[in-house]
Amino acid sequence: MRAKSSVWRAWVDTLKAIAADKGVLLLIVIAPVIYGFFYPWPYAAQAVTRVPVAVVDLDHSSLSRQITRLAQASPRIDVRMVIGDEHQAQHALWRGEIEGYALLPRDLKRDVLRGSLAVVTVEANGSYALLNKAVLSGFAEAVGTVSAGVEIKKLQASGQSAPQAQAGRNPISTQMVALFNPTEGYGSYVVPAVALLIIQQTLLMGVAMLVGLWAETDRHRADAATWLGRILGFSSIGYLSGLLYFGWIFWAQDFPRGANTRGGLVLLAFYMPSICTLGALLGVWFGNRERALQVLLFTALPMAFVSGFSWPAEALPEMLQTLRWLFPSTAGIQASLRLNQMGAPLADVAGYLLILAALSTSAGGLLLWVARPAKS
Amino acid sequence: MGVLQAFATSARREAAWLKRSRWDLAMISWVPLLAVALLWWTFSAGLPNRLPIGVLDQDHSAFSRQLIRFMQATPGLQVVRSYDNSTEVTQAMRRAEVYAVVSIPPDFARSLKQGRAAQVTLLHNAQLGTHSSLIQRDVQSAVGTLSVGVELAARNKRGEPALATLVSMEPIKTSLVTLFNPSLNYEQFLAAALIPALLHILAMTAGAWTVGRELRDRSVADWLGPHASWGSTATALLGKLLCPWLGLSMVGTLAMIWLTLGRGWHPPGSLAWVLLALWTFLALSLAMGALASSATRSLRTALSATGFITAPAFAFGGVGFPLQSMPVLARGWAELLPYTHYIRLQMEQFQMAVPLNYSATSLMMLALVATIFILLCAPLLNRCAGRPDTWGGR
Repeated sequence: MRAKSSVWRAWVDTLKAIAADKGVLLLIVIAPVIYGFFYPWPYAAQAVTRVPVAVVDLDHSSLSRQITRLAQASPRIDVRMVIGDEHQAQHALWRGEIEGYALLPRDLKRDVLRGSLAVVTVEANGSYALLNKAVLSGFAEAVGTVSAGVEIKKLQASGQSAPQAQAGRNPISTQMVALFNPTEGYGSYVVPAVALLIIQQTLLMGVAMLVGLWAETDRHRADAATWLGRILGFSSIGYLSGLLYFGWIFWAQDFPRGANTRGGLVLLAFYMPSICTLGALLGVWFGNRERALQVLLFTALPMAFVSGFSWPAEALPEMLQTLRWLFPSTAGIQASLRLNQMGAPLADVAGYLLILAALSTSAGGLLLWVARPAKS
Repeated sequence: MGVLQAFATSARREAAWLKRSRWDLAMISWVPLLAVALLWWTFSAGLPNRLPIGVLDQDHSAFSRQLIRFMQATPGLQVVRSYDNSTEVTQAMRRAEVYAVVSIPPDFARSLKQGRAAQVTLLHNAQLGTHSSLIQRDVQSAVGTLSVGVELAARNKRGEPALATLVSMEPIKTSLVTLFNPSLNYEQFLAAALIPALLHILAMTAGAWTVGRELRDRSVADWLGPHASWGSTATALLGKLLCPWLGLSMVGTLAMIWLTLGRGWHPPGSLAWVLLALWTFLALSLAMGALASSATRSLRTALSATGFITAPAFAFGGVGFPLQSMPVLARGWAELLPYTHYIRLQMEQFQMAVPLNYSATSLMMLALVATIFILLCAPLLNRCAGRPDTWGGR
């Protein structure tokens, strides 16, 4: 009975302490809301279209003009200039005015008519992956369309029917079907994963800041029931920001969402306590209010790239493949993508929930020991 | 107090503090070094290999088996599972047990033998963007290899000579050249871009911390001395930021040298120019932190501002998602961030071999803004030093 009431009291006290501390309030209540709109902002367009390019036309034939026209019609690229000098294109590339160009060689048409090989070179800027892809595929489609037209005409001339000629030209085609994130938008790939990291970092820093202040002023020591109440208090606020993302921000930004709503709710119940116990443990260790920010601000970047959503976990060094589970975000992101975006049943993410539970209990046990009540 | 003396006294005072404060010294020395090493280590494989995919072979023909062999032989792919029906496929994809499944239709071999077009379907998981685009590329090239083989065989049967066949199959060949970083090596591309982004966060944090600590601990008047002038305060600030700047620049220099020369990569541009820009960029980041603390007079608020400005700087920097595709206002914000300009310069040297004069302006701008920020801090700090009632804000 006494333990129960001290859990309850600690829960209320923690919420009051959060409300009274504008620094902590800013971090764990306001920052998640702001980031929810600020972070997806650059990706609003989702796709890369109309990348500026140039066509270097050295042939000046009807065929080269046909390729140029088709390139101009491509939604991926935007032909800013048609020029007769490759150097000019190179300089425009350096100045960042264009991201790539196609070189239509002299005698392009003559070679094609004579049946000898003609090569159109497309040069794109590989330092930027998405721009590179848009330029290469935009030009490849334009040239490919013209090329196919030439070949089909030749095959038809040799007596094949149009569909036969079409099939003979490319006997096996590949149909690409995106099973999840069907629009293949950039934002809807990055943000649902980073959301879990934003929730973790704001909560982790907020909890470590408040507990750090308690430790600085030696108010942190408490019994198990009180610590349980405190962790539940922090987790309650975290749970709300989790709901904010899963329920509202994913919807407002029109990302894939809600594929397994109930599973998402269960995940949050495992995710928040693991973050909060870790945060409290760090706070006790720091023993200083501002230290949490100083030490934790930069950690989001490495955590994002070991979590496995953008950089495949298969490519991580073996030791890192194990160590990365120490961050709640790794299991949180993996489980959330499966539940919210891919619609996996809860049983499929049980392993991740288990990892989160193990993090909570081990960090919690350590916390109870280092922040045990002083012997009176 | 002379200007030079203000610099030396302040630098000595900071060095003495760092000797006593384990945490503060760690945050400008071994912690950044460890974090940078972790980032490099993450991407040290360069290119992901053997991503797990599955197949749903409904044909069981020599052609379908050959396609599977081709895929297995592609270094980027690893065929780990074979499924019997689409229910199994859906479950495996949901679990992300495989990142893609290649489905081969029942009449695959028959269509090909009869000269009709056949189609394989690649189900991929676009929720994992990098995985899915690498797999799409590799599966397409495996299918392409088989397709060309089938077409060549068919034409040879009709009696066309091999060379003429190759030309007439594709009268205009597109030669796709990715200038700069042609293999899309992620170590050279992503790790090299992320390390400065990480140091940017650490440097602004250090700038905010170094100055904000004096305000929080009510020692600002003690630091600046009794007769602080604009000039003496500005130089005292420079002296104070010297140690963090040296520490972080050293880490950055080591990281860049390791990534390039240490890994046998000789970037086409100038490494020295990149290092000069990196040192300037870190000086600016420190000045931004110092200005945040001087203006808000609260270490905690300055650190929150640091998080807001520097943590998403990579997302706005145009490396992952290009600047030109951002909404106008987001692009405007991106252009205000120094990381955006620094990383463009680094890409130009590490990847594109752009002549130095193309980026001289952005380097000068970084230095100019850093100087202005330091000069702006001085009057703010002097005013603060004269008002003990504003000290100690948390």
